[in-house]
Amino acid sequence: MVMLLLFVTVFVVRLVDIQVVRAETLSADSLGNRSVEQPVYGSRGDIVDSNGVVLAGTVMRYNITLSPRNAKEFERTTDTGDVTVTLAQAVAEVAALTGQTGDEILTIISDALAADKDSDYAVVVRAVDVSVFRAIDALDIPWMYAEKNPSRVYPDGAVAGNLVGFVSSGGEAQAGIELGQDSCLASTNGTETYEKGADGVRLPQSTVTTKTAKDGGDVVTTIDSDLNWFVQQALAKQAIATGAAWGNVVVQEVKTGKLVAVADYPSVDPNNVNGTANPDDRGSRAFTASFEPGSTFKALTTASVLDAGAATPLSRVVAPYRYLPPNGANVNDSSGHADLNLTLTGVMIESSNTGMSKFGELISDQQRYDYMTKFGVGSTTESGFLAEDSGILHPYEDWDNQTKYATMFGQGLTTTAIQVSSMYQTLANNGVRMPVQLIAGCRHADGTMTDVPEAVGTPVVSATAARDTADILEMVYQKAWLAKTWEIPGYRVAAKTGTAQMPDGQGGYTKGYLVSVSGFAPADDPQYVVSVSLADPVKLNSSAASAPIFQEVMSQVLKKYRAVPSGATAPALPGTW
Amino acid sequence: MSDNLARVLRPTWENIPGPAAAEPTRHIEIVSPRSQQKARPKIVYALSAVTGVAVIVIAQLLLSVGISQSAYEVSRLQASQVELGRTAESVTEDLVRVSSPQSLAANAEALGMVTNSNPLFLRLSDGAVRGAPASAIGSQAGTASLVPNALLAGVPLITELPQNTGQGASLGGSASSQAAEPVAAASVPTVVPEAVPDALPTPTTR
Repeated sequence: MVMLLLFVTVFVVRLVDIQVVRAETLSADSLGNRSVEQPVYGSRGDIVDSNGVVLAGTVMRYNITLSPRNAKEFERTTDTGDVTVTLAQAVAEVAALTGQTGDEILTIISDALAADKDSDYAVVVRAVDVSVFRAIDALDIPWMYAEKNPSRVYPDGAVAGNLVGFVSSGGEAQAGIELGQDSCLASTNGTETYEKGADGVRLPQSTVTTKTAKDGGDVVTTIDSDLNWFVQQALAKQAIATGAAWGNVVVQEVKTGKLVAVADYPSVDPNNVNGTANPDDRGSRAFTASFEPGSTFKALTTASVLDAGAATPLSRVVAPYRYLPPNGANVNDSSGHADLNLTLTGVMIESSNTGMSKFGELISDQQRYDYMTKFGVGSTTESGFLAEDSGILHPYEDWDNQTKYATMFGQGLTTTAIQVSSMYQTLANNGVRMPVQLIAGCRHADGTMTDVPEAVGTPVVSATAARDTADILEMVYQKAWLAKTWEIPGYRVAAKTGTAQMPDGQGGYTKGYLVSVSGFAPADDPQYVVSVSLADPVKLNSSAASAPIFQEVMSQVLKKYRAVPSGATAPALPGTW
Repeated sequence: MSDNLARVLRPTWENIPGPAAAEPTRHIEIVSPRSQQKARPKIVYALSAVTGVAVIVIAQLLLSVGISQSAYEVSRLQASQVELGRTAESVTEDLVRVSSPQSLAANAEALGMVTNSNPLFLRLSDGAVRGAPASAIGSQAGTASLVPNALLAGVPLITELPQNTGQGASLGGSASSQAAEPVAAASVPTVVPEAVPDALPTPTTR
């Protein structure tokens, strides 16, 4: 009787132990033997242009991996019976598909085994496409596996590549919009588990989503990829012809402030980032590199003087070759000439530094400084581009005597190409500055858009002052020395050149020049701003190097957007008296 | 007690009136069906219950077999769906790649097309021509692509596709005959396209 009781007690204790105490662990173990957990990839959002053309998208790629410790000869079933495939044959077959050599793969195996003799995982090649994956899969090598590797692809290559940026091979955003807008683009991977039978088939209704995957949103840019391609092509052609170090072109819509094209030379192809050797060439200098703008800045001084009521387009000055203002500054023109009787219009046509100084001193330094800040000089734009440069504008109290004059013609301060474009946008848009837009918003899966930028303009100068400045710039386009180079038949255009010495980074200047042209068209109803900057074109060191790009790009823009010439005659403002 | 017929044969045993004896005679007819009814339902119920259980068990087995068979079917279809999805993705990629501006421009130029950056507008209301007419001066952006695209490496131009050999040859033939024409008519220098040695000669566009 005691024995029986003891016997029963033993079984009861064991039962309780299994069914109650260790129940959870054991059932988890059993589930673990049957269940398979796998990641569910959320897809990273696309970067698209204003027409929905994909600039950056996600595609599925496959990493080919193998189990080094199992890598040996195996039997392959074919139509003619089983065939023994040796290790050397197997790796040779794979190598032929992956573009490696058989020895490379054997090295991978031996290295992995040297590090760990039980190694069960080594990557043969990363991110192969579907056709290679299928071909390797068809080889039916039992110790070779493929794993998913969602990868980034840039269908248009280097088109807007400097803006779009790129991701690392591990999928980490590294530059440009990819990094700057990562919070919109990023996806969250989920996991699901299912139970499988002995033959690997998923048991019905056993799939449990343990974590839901979330797709990233699409970043919609204001860029037009076709135009951006054309602009990059035109820029690169002229940059190579003139031996320029780098350059950029900005095309901006006048009424909205949207950037429709931002081209950088050299261009980076995000599909092949290592093809661009210099890391500085992989970003967008249009946003991140500021420079002394030079004479294109005179348009801002002109508008300021006109808006303050200190002069009219026909106000007269005598412009000498060298001007020595009472405060001790020393201003001279780029080439020697006798005293010229110029109007304000004439000063702009001749791009006379001395003449501009005589107009600029009509208003106070503080007034000019205030105008500059209202035009956006010295602060980053609203574009939201990563690591955008604000340029350098010292407070007017800190200006020395030379700087007081130098700032009238675009020296002693720096601007980015985007800021210059925004300046001309303001002048073209009747004195109303629109926020610079590069990102139109973040589009979510349900079609809603968030992060849509504000598009409320700020008046900077009066409409009359802006209109008068536009008229002056139109006279510059007609009469300046490059009139033949940048002529666009049938259209009225307003434009101004700039040639500025480039700082050497140590307080002095290099021998190189940054040559630029900025302008807008049609002059009587401005639609688009085109701003061209070319750094150190050694074979043609003047704005004659940048003018053909302006002509080519502006022609294309007017044609593309069907800007109809009005046929109205341009105003005739005398440049001399 | 149950046998009423005996009582009828011995009427003196008990003074039971005639009408009382007549009453039990009705019972005879009722009792025998009741005994029969008691015996029959036991078998029917048992049979139907057993049959029911058997049907349910078999049905469930069949259903289970069906479900697991469907699991293979589902598994196979899912695999096929994944494969088809991969194919669709792959061809979409190819399509997007050849739609890139670099590819389009290179193919257009290979076919002898040029751009003209001098647009003209005809106003329908009064027939006025807006813009300055000029002939195309050839490719604006140049022939060689200066905007790289690593995805296009190894993708042939449309004129280089093997199945289009005949068409490409005829295109080349007509283009070269056109190129010879302006040389003969050299008196009109403005419309003579510049000979581009490494590309197809461009036809004159008016």
